Amino acid sequence: MVEGAAPTAAPVRVMVVDDHPMWRDAVERDLAAAGFDVVAVAADGQQALARFPAARPQVVVLDLQIPAPNGVEVTAEVLRQDPSARVLILSASGEQSDVLEAVKAGATGYLVKSASREELLDAVRRVARGDTVFTPGLAGLVLGEFRRMAEGGAGPGEPPGQQLTERETEVLKMVAKGWSYKQIAERLVLSHRTVQNHVQNTLRKLQLHNRVELTRYAIEQGLDEDD
Amino acid sequence: MPPARGGAEAVEDRLFRALAVLRAVMLLNAVGMALYGADDFQRPVLAAVCVAGMVLWTAVATAAYAVPRHRRAWLLVADLAVAEALLVLTPWAKGEGFSATVPGFWIAASLLAWAVHWRWIGGLVAAALLAATDVAIRQELTQSIYGNVLLILVGGPVVGYMCESLQRMATERDAAERAAATAAERARLARAVHDGVLQVLALVQRRGRELGGDAAELGRLAGEQEAALRRLIRAQDATSAERASGTVDLVRELAALERRGNVTFSGPAGPVPLPAPVATELVAAVGACLDNVERHVGPGAPAWVFLEALADRVEVSVRDEGPGIPEGRLAAAEADGRLGVSESVRGRLADLGGTAELSTGSFGTEWVLTVPLEGTG
Repeated sequence: MVEGAAPTAAPVRVMVVDDHPMWRDAVERDLAAAGFDVVAVAADGQQALARFPAARPQVVVLDLQIPAPNGVEVTAEVLRQDPSARVLILSASGEQSDVLEAVKAGATGYLVKSASREELLDAVRRVARGDTVFTPGLAGLVLGEFRRMAEGGAGPGEPPGQQLTERETEVLKMVAKGWSYKQIAERLVLSHRTVQNHVQNTLRKLQLHNRVELTRYAIEQGLDEDD
Repeated sequence: MPPARGGAEAVEDRLFRALAVLRAVMLLNAVGMALYGADDFQRPVLAAVCVAGMVLWTAVATAAYAVPRHRRAWLLVADLAVAEALLVLTPWAKGEGFSATVPGFWIAASLLAWAVHWRWIGGLVAAALLAATDVAIRQELTQSIYGNVLLILVGGPVVGYMCESLQRMATERDAAERAAATAAERARLARAVHDGVLQVLALVQRRGRELGGDAAELGRLAGEQEAALRRLIRAQDATSAERASGTVDLVRELAALERRGNVTFSGPAGPVPLPAPVATELVAAVGACLDNVERHVGPGAPAWVFLEALADRVEVSVRDEGPGIPEGRLAAAEADGRLGVSESVRGRLADLGGTAELSTGSFGTEWVLTVPLEGTG
């Protein structure tokens, strides 16, 4: 099953979730050919969640538009079961709000399906390493979300750590404007790693905010029931 | 015409139900008046028969009108005939020189039944017949009788006309609801089809690129169609809300610039509505910046458009990775009296009450166009 395993470490274990057999096969073939260990494939959310615990993939390559439960729900559930797993969203229709929801649920990478094979393989490698894979489009979505949150007014008890620092905003803006991490590092005189960390922090804060929101919502619902 | 009777029928049902209540109230009024003035009757037996007839007919008519298929000409004619008969019998029952008729306002029920069922013409015909009878049985036409007659003549057609309007509105509402439901279902089906088509187009694009040659050309074409379809889907999502408010979604308009092929757009997930003229001007300014990229950096040179919506303003950045604009070129253009692209962009933004800032250097060229939002602050 594993051909051309990575030279140094054990091959990255990947699971492919897509309801289109054509796509599933193509992605699986490309990953396997590049030395990844495709430990499971799934055609819908139910299969994905059923196979995930036994397969224990490090990276889930996930299509958002799959039969229920959808990609956003699968992302949240998979990461609840195994917080060390990474989710890379591979989306065809680019439904902006779905992509944003998946990232809020914990996905750390997003790629459109029209991306080339090399881009896909590179994205899986980077996501497996713990890096974030941002397109300019995703950076725009995330920035927009922080703007929206700021406008809605921080609720009482909103930790200040959930707002972006000036540097993080600056870096994210540059990503949205199409700068590569390398170009950003040069322009701002930072290390590549630091740029990467800034981008990662923005996602972490967004996901944290999402969890706080969900908890607050749950508490409010619970309190309402007591009335 | 499709069978759009649902709403119109419901309107008639409701009106007849209201009319049943009115008829009962008018009956109570007429019976009360008869008992109160029982001593004035010249022929009490005839009067009693008349009142009994009203009670009986009220019961029959209420039951009959409640069933839509009974609302036929015979019922309406009988209804009016009973009212006419009671009017005609009044001089015998009460004697000459009476003031109020035996049925009194009760006759309005038959008038309104005609108006509801046969619209303004029915209302007018019934009103004319009742008015003529009412006048014919009197010895003299007093002011109050004239008032009542006039009220009947005006009220009948007006109620009929309003009933017709209500039914037409109900029919139109039905049609609109059906159209909306059809459109929603079509959109739902389209979404599933579109997703499948996008998947295939993306796959063709990807494999085509890998195979090269003619397949690469196929892949390129598939890529174009993918972008076009995505744009269409975006456009469909927003238009109905916008038509109502006179605004345009800036996100969609700027995303459409990606069709140029070399442009990457990024922006917030939700729509950014701007008044249509402002959005048009702003998008035109962005277009001018992109034209400039093509001219000075080269055809097909990559460019990035980034939209940020802040509380009090929108900012659009247009960036390229060209060599930058050489120092002095803008000033030279101005000195030559040529209105350069930069001046045209600045002018457009100034007209919108905004600003256009240019930064250029070895890293490329970036325009930041800022437009303040009205009604905030």
